[in-house]
Amino acid sequence: MHLLLLGVSHKTAPVDVRERLDFSSRDLGAAVEALATRPSAAESVVLSTCNRSEVYVACENPARARDEIIEFLTQYHSMQAESFTPHLFSLGDDAAAKHLFRVAAGLDSLVVGEPQILGQVKDAFETASGRRCTGPMLSKLFHWSFGVGKRVRTETALGEGAVSISFAAVTLARKIFGQLQGRRVLVIGAGEISTLTAEHLRSQGVGEIVITSRTAAHAETLAAAVGGRAARWEDVSSLLGTADIVITATGSQRPILTRAQVEATTARHRPDPLFIIDLAVPRDVETSVGDIEQVFLYNVDDLQSIVQENLSRRSREIAHAETIVAEELLKFATWQRSRGAVPTVVALRQRFDTIRRSELQRLEGKLAGLSPDARARVDEVTRLIVEKLLVEPTEQLKALPDEETQVAYTEAVNRLFRLRTGESASSSTDAAADTSRADRQK
Amino acid sequence: MNAIPLVLYAAAAVVYAVHFAKRQPGVGRMATTLLLLAALSHTFVIGMQTMEVRHVPFDNRSHAVSSFVWLLALSYIYLELTTDERAMGVFILPIAVGLQTIPAFSPGIENADPVLDSPWFWVHVISLMFAYASFALAGMLGLTYMLQFKEIKKKHLGYFYTRLPSLHVLDAMNSRAVVVGWLFLTIGVVVGVVWTAQARALAPGNSNLQAMSLNDPKILIALLTWAVYSFEVFARSTMGWTGRRAAWLSALGFAIVLLNFLPVSYFVTTSHTFQ
Repeated sequence: MHLLLLGVSHKTAPVDVRERLDFSSRDLGAAVEALATRPSAAESVVLSTCNRSEVYVACENPARARDEIIEFLTQYHSMQAESFTPHLFSLGDDAAAKHLFRVAAGLDSLVVGEPQILGQVKDAFETASGRRCTGPMLSKLFHWSFGVGKRVRTETALGEGAVSISFAAVTLARKIFGQLQGRRVLVIGAGEISTLTAEHLRSQGVGEIVITSRTAAHAETLAAAVGGRAARWEDVSSLLGTADIVITATGSQRPILTRAQVEATTARHRPDPLFIIDLAVPRDVETSVGDIEQVFLYNVDDLQSIVQENLSRRSREIAHAETIVAEELLKFATWQRSRGAVPTVVALRQRFDTIRRSELQRLEGKLAGLSPDARARVDEVTRLIVEKLLVEPTEQLKALPDEETQVAYTEAVNRLFRLRTGESASSSTDAAADTSRADRQK
Repeated sequence: MNAIPLVLYAAAAVVYAVHFAKRQPGVGRMATTLLLLAALSHTFVIGMQTMEVRHVPFDNRSHAVSSFVWLLALSYIYLELTTDERAMGVFILPIAVGLQTIPAFSPGIENADPVLDSPWFWVHVISLMFAYASFALAGMLGLTYMLQFKEIKKKHLGYFYTRLPSLHVLDAMNSRAVVVGWLFLTIGVVVGVVWTAQARALAPGNSNLQAMSLNDPKILIALLTWAVYSFEVFARSTMGWTGRRAAWLSALGFAIVLLNFLPVSYFVTTSHTFQ
């Protein structure tokens, strides 16, 4: 049984090709089912996100499976094969497993270490397994990839630190205020970046979001977009007194928040700090406001340098994450090879058991005088002897270090014990395929 | 016997430090387990001593330090289990280890002054020990607040920023520890005064009791401690002294507590000793 991966990603295909090959906006389950009806795909999973569409199959004949998948993609997306095949990448066996591990770890993402991808990989697998399109091979592969994703997340800092300005602001707010539930946000100036930051804060469960802008209509539009309340521009000073987080993003050429203005609000009884995020260029808040004890003032450059630092910290973690992927790949490959030995092991056991039974049958006359209890004990003892004889060879066969050695050893065992004489090692993988199909039918 | 908890506290301190640096959940769980074992063995040691001398072993300085460490460990464990926040362990455990070396290496002489055999005395000592343990926590929380505050304020988001809890959480935990400590300190001081007056009448010949007054540095500093924490509690609720100011006061208060607990108690006090 072989692994085959066919797909497009942000690294291989432009956005228009990715859009047309996208499964996520359509019924992914139906797509997997349609794919599973193809004769060569014994098991299949489709992973589709905005940055990638990838088809994973377990098959016996990769070349045939590849053609069938391309045919499937052509039909399912009503596209000409020529329009996407130049962007298609195709990986087999270990390379396919490695790719999935890297994807699950966030190493193949557009923003390295982003956390959503692991959930998307899990969803893709669950959709396929819910439709009974997976079997032992892909099931093992995907569960292994979840483990890789988790290991990379806990053992490296690959996913740590905000890598966008708005998220960096939210992370800072959380380090100041802890939980953001109930915190009051004042947005001064309605622009794209302030909208994004306000949306991020909203998703963290902040309390009221008040928006004010020189143009009242802009404030109202933004208020509607983020579920906040629009306030009058003239009320900025009084609104400042009740806010915990202030976001400024006006196009003003002069500072709109002066030190005196902010000091007037912090001088009064104010148990909590004030976090001011100045996203405007030129800046909206006087630099000296940051000197007030209870005020934390961050401007676009400050946030940008946090983002840069986080990005470089993430890139320093890549090597560590790649090492984890390599380690896990090695373990997975060993597991896969141990599966290659399974048919030989099964045949060997059957052979030994057949000999045992035939010998017992031959001695039937001599054993006839025994009581049923003693008869059962003889049966048990012979069975145990066979078991014990086979323990070591079974373990050795499963733990062989590489494919070449495995082929040689299984071949030798096949000959020594006349197991399916004349069949080659490749037929043993056919037997493995049979087992996996049988598993699937269960 | 105090050496067994010392070794376990030291081991826990090392693992807490590793956890702080590496932030691996497994290491964190190991640190907590070691600390729980340390506290358990310490409970056993204190229990044995209680059986031996037939009362809670607070009445010589080494025993008092050992009991303080034990209460500090229990208070920290409570804090960790209720907040699920392990970052403070690396700051608290060194205090526990440092102080526990005193009882581990100098067991002290058992004291038999019959004047101490009064329930008032036990309430006085236990309340103060618990207050000091709370202040130790508050002091460390104050210190970490200042570290975190400095990194965010100066925009150098470095080592501590990622590892320490939010300013709000540190401030809230500090406030709770100070209030609990202040309550027990008040009880301890009031009971101490009342009991001294009573005991003086009962044991007119005891020179220590007769000499107890504000002239004794230990008693004076204890009252100063009370004044500092009373101000902190008052300033927080009425003057908005939260955050960095409260953090400073907590650190200052704990410095005074430590000063009173060790050098003053061992070398300077004139009357407040029963050795």
